[in-house]
Amino acid sequence: MGYKTDWFKGIFPALVTPFGGAQGKPFTADDKLDEAAYRELIRFVLPHVNGVVPCGTTGEFSYMTLEERKRAVEICLDEVDGRVPVVAGTGCQSTRETVALTEWSRDAGVSGALVVAPYFLKPTFNEVYDHFRAVDKVGLPFILYNIPQCSGTHFKWWTAEGMALDLDNAIGIKDSSGDMPFMEAMFEKVKGKVSIFVGHDEVVQAALAAGADGAILASANLIPDVWQRVYRATLEGDLATAQEWQQKVQKLVRIVVRCSSTQAVKEGLRMMGLPIGDSRHPVMPGGGFRREDYGELRLQLEGLGKIAPANVLYDLGDKQVETQIAATPQTGRTISGFTMKVGEGFAGPPFQELAHVDLLLGLKDGPVGRAIERSMEGWGEERGLRIINERPRTLLVPTITIHTAKQRRLFYEHAAEGVNLAIRLSIEDGFLPEGILDDVVLIANVFVHPAASIAKRVEFNNYKATRHAIRKALEGRPTVEELINEKAAARHPFRYAP
Amino acid sequence: MKVPWFEGVFPALVTPFVKKTEEVDEQAYRRLIRSCLPDVNGLVTSGTTGEFPYLTREEQRRLVVIGVEEAGGKPVIAGCGASSTQEALTLVRDAQEAGAAAALIVTPYFLHPSDKGVYQHFYDIATGVDLPIILYNIPQVMDAYLPRTVVEDLADLPNVIGLKDSSGNLTYTMELLEFVSDRINIFIGHDEVVLPALAGGVSGMILASAQVYPDVWQEVFRLVAEGQVEEARALQRSVQKLSRIFCRYGGGVAVKAALKMMGLDMGPPRKPLKPVGGALIHETRAEIRLELEKLAKIPVEEAAFEYPNGPLAERFDDLEITPEIIASHDMRIGSGTAGEGLNKVQIDLIAGGKQTPLGDAYALQLTYPLHGREALTTILEPALTVRPSTLLLPALPQKNLRQANMIYGPTQLALARAIVDALEEGHIPPTAVDGEVMVALATVHPRALDRHALYQSVHAAATLALAQTFA
Repeated sequence: MGYKTDWFKGIFPALVTPFGGAQGKPFTADDKLDEAAYRELIRFVLPHVNGVVPCGTTGEFSYMTLEERKRAVEICLDEVDGRVPVVAGTGCQSTRETVALTEWSRDAGVSGALVVAPYFLKPTFNEVYDHFRAVDKVGLPFILYNIPQCSGTHFKWWTAEGMALDLDNAIGIKDSSGDMPFMEAMFEKVKGKVSIFVGHDEVVQAALAAGADGAILASANLIPDVWQRVYRATLEGDLATAQEWQQKVQKLVRIVVRCSSTQAVKEGLRMMGLPIGDSRHPVMPGGGFRREDYGELRLQLEGLGKIAPANVLYDLGDKQVETQIAATPQTGRTISGFTMKVGEGFAGPPFQELAHVDLLLGLKDGPVGRAIERSMEGWGEERGLRIINERPRTLLVPTITIHTAKQRRLFYEHAAEGVNLAIRLSIEDGFLPEGILDDVVLIANVFVHPAASIAKRVEFNNYKATRHAIRKALEGRPTVEELINEKAAARHPFRYAP
Repeated sequence: MKVPWFEGVFPALVTPFVKKTEEVDEQAYRRLIRSCLPDVNGLVTSGTTGEFPYLTREEQRRLVVIGVEEAGGKPVIAGCGASSTQEALTLVRDAQEAGAAAALIVTPYFLHPSDKGVYQHFYDIATGVDLPIILYNIPQVMDAYLPRTVVEDLADLPNVIGLKDSSGNLTYTMELLEFVSDRINIFIGHDEVVLPALAGGVSGMILASAQVYPDVWQEVFRLVAEGQVEEARALQRSVQKLSRIFCRYGGGVAVKAALKMMGLDMGPPRKPLKPVGGALIHETRAEIRLELEKLAKIPVEEAAFEYPNGPLAERFDDLEITPEIIASHDMRIGSGTAGEGLNKVQIDLIAGGKQTPLGDAYALQLTYPLHGREALTTILEPALTVRPSTLLLPALPQKNLRQANMIYGPTQLALARAIVDALEEGHIPPTAVDGEVMVALATVHPRALDRHALYQSVHAAATLALAQTFA
C-alpha cells in the first residue's frame, strides 16, 4: 500500500540541465553538463520552491548518459544541501536500467524518484505495472509519472489506482497530461492515500483548486515565485488571487508547454540573464520554439518584470539618443547603422490569417525616407499605399493585390491597426524612443492572405509580426551565426508541392 | 451477396449548384454525366463528393431520376447516407422508386452509436427494403471505422452486395478482403491507393476523381486485370498528385475547381464550404491547373520569353542602376546560369552599400507592388531573413499563382541557402553583412513545374553568381 509523505507537496521545478556553456553550442566539445550554470539556476529557484526535480523531462533526461544523470543529481544534492527535498528523475526505457538508476539515487541520498512510464516500445499495462513493481522493491519513495505527450502511453485510471494502492513505496502520482477528467478520477480513487501532483503548466491553478497537492513544472524554472504565490493563495482559500496569477502567466506557460519546452525554458532563462545553453539535438533553436515564440515569450517575461531594463545608445550618425529597454544579452549596448535596417516578422496561426511583415526602418533622409516620399508622389494612391502613422512616419504597403471589399477592410483597418499597435507599444517600451521619432521612418510591406476571414486574428498577428520585426531590425536578428546553424534544417513552407 | 454488375469504375458525382441561389443545376448535372459516361461502369449520386449532407430528400431523389435518364442503362447507385436509421430508410425507398440499382449507405455518424447500433442500422435498412445495399466506410468524415467484425455479420444479409472503403488504410482493406470478399464485393473509395487496392483484390472503385479522369482509371482497372502492373503503376503515378489534392485538400470543392478548368462549370459548393479559400486554398487551385495541363485535360499556355543577355552591368535597369552607377559606387555584380529546359534558371546579382543608389532601389522595390514582379525578401524560412539583406526580383511578369509559387518557394529557399553557404565559407566580407544589400534578378521559365529540379538549378546558378559577385 502506498502512502503520503509530509514533504511531497508544493512547487517543484523540473530543472533544465544546462549544457555547453553560456553561448550554447550543441555538438561541440563544450556540449557537456555545465556545472556552474546548473548551480546558478538552483540558487535562482531555491528561495521560491518546496523541492527540486533534476533530470525530469524538462531536464532532457532522455538525451543524457547515465553518468551525466548521476552527476546532475550529485550537483543538485550538493547545491541544495538539505534545504528542500530532491526528487530525481530515474525513469529509463527498460526495467533493468530504471531499477539500477533508482538504486543509485537511493544510495546518493535523494528524497524520492520520479519514474516515467516506460516509453517507445509501448508495453501493455500489466507490463507497465510490473515495471513499477520492480522499482517499488528498491525501497526508495517514488512517484508514478504520467506524460502521454512524450511516452505515448496514457495511464488508465484503474492502472494508476492499482499501482498507487498496491506498491508500498509509491508516494505520489505526477500527471502531466492536462487531462482533467483523469485527474478528477485520481482524486476520487486515491486522494489522501498518495500525493497527487499536476505536471501541466496550463492547468496548475485548476488542479490545485480541485485538490492537487503540488506541481512539478517546466515553467517553475522561470517563474517559481509566481507558482509559489498560486500555491499559497490556493492553500489560504484565496481563489481569486490564484486565478489572477494563473491567467497572468497563461500565455507564457502555453508557449513553454507547447513550443518545445526544454528550449523555451532555456531561452527564457537566457533572456533573464542566466547563462544557460541550448537544448541538445535534435531539439534546436528556431525549431519547435520558433522565432515568433521567442518574441512572445520575451514580451511575457518583460511584462512580469523578469528582464531588467538596460541603457542602450542609438547612434544615428549626427545624433545620439539614449533609451532604456528590456535588453537581452543579445542586444547590443550601442546600436548604429540607421541608414536602413531590415526586419522580418511572421505570426500565425491560423494559416489564412497569418501575418508576414517585411519591415524597413531607416533615416528620413536616407533610402527608406526617400522611397516613402517618391512612392507617395508617384504610384502611392494607385497602388494602395497608405501613410498610417506620422511619428515615426510609416508607410503601409500591400504585398499582394487587393481585389475585394473584404480584403480592403482586413488590410486597411485590421492589419493597419495591428501595425500601429506594434508601433505604439514599441514607443512605450523604449525600442522606438521619443528622440528618434522625427528622424526615422518605417515601411511595412504587409501580407494578408486573400482567404483571411477572422479580423481580430489578422490584427493580432500583424501586431505580433510588426512588433517582433521592429526588434529584429534594431537588434540585427537573425544573426549570421543563427543563419549558419539553421541553414541546413530550415523548412520553407512553399518549397514543396501539395 | 455479390451481383455481377458491381465492378469497375464509378464516379462519385459532384452536385452542381447555381451561383448565389444554391439551387441544383440539373442541366449542368446532365452535362457532367455525359462527359464521363463513356469511361465508367455506372454512376453514384449524392455521395460525399456530392455534398449529400447539404441536400434535401427531394433533391437527392431528383439526382437519381436524372442519373437514370442519362445513364443509358448503366447502373445508378444512390447515396443514401443519414445520421438516423429512419431517415436513411426513407432515402433508400425514394431511391428505389426513382430507379436506382443500389443504395450506398454510410456508417451512421455524429452521435457515434455502438457496434450493436451500427449493425442494427444496416440490418434495419437491408431487411426493410428490397434494394441492394452497399456499406460505406469513410472514417475521415465520420470519425469512426465501420468495424470489420460488424461487416463480417452484415455480409450474410442477402441484399448487402458490397462495401466501399474510403479510408485509404490498406490494412483495413486487406482485412475486409480476407473476411468477406467471398460474399460481397469490396470497392476502393480512396483515389490515392487505387492501384494497390486493385492489386490486392478489390472489385472496383467509387472515386471523386473518376469524373475528372475516368479514362485513366478505366485503363488502370483493365491493366491490373490483365496483370500489367508496370503500366498501371505509371498511370496511377501520373494522377497521384491530383488524387492527393482531391482526397486531402478540398474533396468535392477541388473536383469542382478542376471540372471548371476543363469547361464543366458545376458552380460553387453549398455553404459553409467555400469555392476557394477554405479547404481548397488558392495555392492548391493553381496546382490543379498545372496537373491538368500535364494530363492534357486542358491546353498549355505557351509563353515567349528570353533569358537576359548582353553585358551584365546593363541588366539592372529596372532598379535604375546603370553601368556608370555600378562603377562609380563600387558595386559588385555577378551572374550564373544552371539547369536545362524548363528548369533552366539565370540569376543576375548585384550587391552594394546601403548608402548607394542600390539602397534606394532596395527600399523603393518594397513600395512598388502590383506590377506582377513583386520583390521578396530572401528568407530560409519565415522569420529567418538572410544577410546581407537580399531582394529576390522575378525577371518575368508573374501571370498566375503557380508561377508565383515556383518563385516564392523553391527559388527563394535555394537563393537563401546559396547566400548562407557563401557566408559560412567566408566569401562574403563581414563589412558587407550589415553595410550592403543585394538584389537578385531571377529568370525562371514560366512553365517550370518541378520544384525539386528548380531548387537545384537556382542553388547552382546563385552559387555561381555569388562567386562572381564576391570574387
